[in-house]
Amino acid sequence: MRRVAIVGYAQTQHQFDMQKTREDMVFEVVKEALSHAGITRGEVDTVVTASTDFLDGRTISSVFLSMAVGAYLKDESKTEEDGTSAAWYAFMRILSGVHDVALVEAHTQGSTFNPHQVSFYTLDPLFDRQIGVLNDVSAAAIQARMYMSSYGVSEEEIAMVSVKNLSNAAKNPFAQRRMPDLTVEEVLGSKLYYHPIRELMMSPISDGACALVLASEEKAKEITDTPVWIEGVGVCQDFYLRDRNLLELDSLRKAAKDAYEMAGIRDPYAELDVFEVSEKFAHEELMIYEALGLCRRGKGKVLLERGATEKGGEIPVNPSGGALAADPVCATGLVRMVEAAKQIRGEAGEYQIPGVRRALAHGQFGMCAQKNWVFILGGEG
Amino acid sequence: MLHLEREGIVRVKGLPFVARFKWSTGFLMERFIKSLAEKKLLGAKCPSCGYTYVPPRSRCGKCLTKLGEKNLVELSGRGVLVGYTTAYVGLDGEGNFVDLEKPRVIGAIKLEGADSTIFMPIGEIDPEGVREGMEVEPKWREATRGELADIEYFKPSR
Repeated sequence: MRRVAIVGYAQTQHQFDMQKTREDMVFEVVKEALSHAGITRGEVDTVVTASTDFLDGRTISSVFLSMAVGAYLKDESKTEEDGTSAAWYAFMRILSGVHDVALVEAHTQGSTFNPHQVSFYTLDPLFDRQIGVLNDVSAAAIQARMYMSSYGVSEEEIAMVSVKNLSNAAKNPFAQRRMPDLTVEEVLGSKLYYHPIRELMMSPISDGACALVLASEEKAKEITDTPVWIEGVGVCQDFYLRDRNLLELDSLRKAAKDAYEMAGIRDPYAELDVFEVSEKFAHEELMIYEALGLCRRGKGKVLLERGATEKGGEIPVNPSGGALAADPVCATGLVRMVEAAKQIRGEAGEYQIPGVRRALAHGQFGMCAQKNWVFILGGEG
Repeated sequence: MLHLEREGIVRVKGLPFVARFKWSTGFLMERFIKSLAEKKLLGAKCPSCGYTYVPPRSRCGKCLTKLGEKNLVELSGRGVLVGYTTAYVGLDGEGNFVDLEKPRVIGAIKLEGADSTIFMPIGEIDPEGVREGMEVEPKWREATRGELADIEYFKPSR
């Protein structure tokens, strides 16, 4: 099988209302990713974007982006959902042997329409939308309570995830919420939406975009001396909310297993140096530790309490601040790939973890993380 | 915070658009909705794997068996609260979270004889008194008409 590497990337400074058109935002991030890779538009063979029509507020929402992403008169396609789906698709297009260089782009401007309202429209229109009590936040709250009572997890322990990630984000110039001195008390004092979920336990509404350049092995070596290889990938989709076990992230567990197998990883705790995950709610990060096989079921809080997932811990999770620090919905998982690649190339500045060789990046979409993508990335040597 | 606007910036509005979709519910869902008039809750039990869907589905998502009218089963309506949350806000349909005057309980319910979980409002209870594992039953509206609105909410069983 061909090898494929990340050879360039860029992201915007994520913020609530960036006061820029979607087209300008996307153009700038794509231009920056190409110049980071040191290539021109002419060298790109295929362009894959990710966004969701309802979040963009228009159907076939890539139509007016073909110029912004430099895709005019080129092979172009758009995936829905998280940007990791576009990266996965672009990866396969290079594996096919037909293309050598792919540009991947994903974005959302959450300030234009509340993404939580959009989540309501992803529900079964014949029943759940008619009943009218569910949205991504209320569903996550039910899941959080189930998790807390099944495994004896407290609100304070969940708030500790927010404290870790939002204080990590203080060093990340691209993050929206940068809160170096945040305390558990402040998290528990923030506005209550659906118990136990409070404002600082859910991701913020962000405008932002992210772009990646992928290349085949031969091309990657021409383009850069520091390619970041895609060593493994796993994708998995769970049942609809009514017919799945909310206490588990089964589809993430399976996606991770497939990605580990492809990358030849037997013990993720020992073999991976940093993790960038899409925790849309604080409790989800604990469930993600478990689904990634970093600890047993219900023991996520132990990893957190021991400091294992802190920046200086054995398995740092979200040194960038993760999705709790910025959530430009469709771009969020792609940002995780960029952050993981930065760690491998030693470009993470003040939140650089020393000696990173292999990293995991995770994207999700759908209520209670219904669909998950896992990428294992690695440097040379 | 969605209305934070800087002077001089021109904004255009397009959402929420009004698109009055009229979906076909499918035969089994139609039976489910119409049976509410008789205060009956129907599920669809897969003849191959035994999984029981509420509301019914016409194809088993677990083993792909076709489900038909003969697979409809009448449920007792009683159920167990397997999860819940107390809502302090609600979405207004236009993208705003609005504060509720009184907190409301939303329950995840496993109905007796069903495998699906349904998510329903829970009434006649103080949020402080809600416990997982509680038994609940539907509160039907006075004059049922064969609409989803026939179930006003679920309430603790006596």
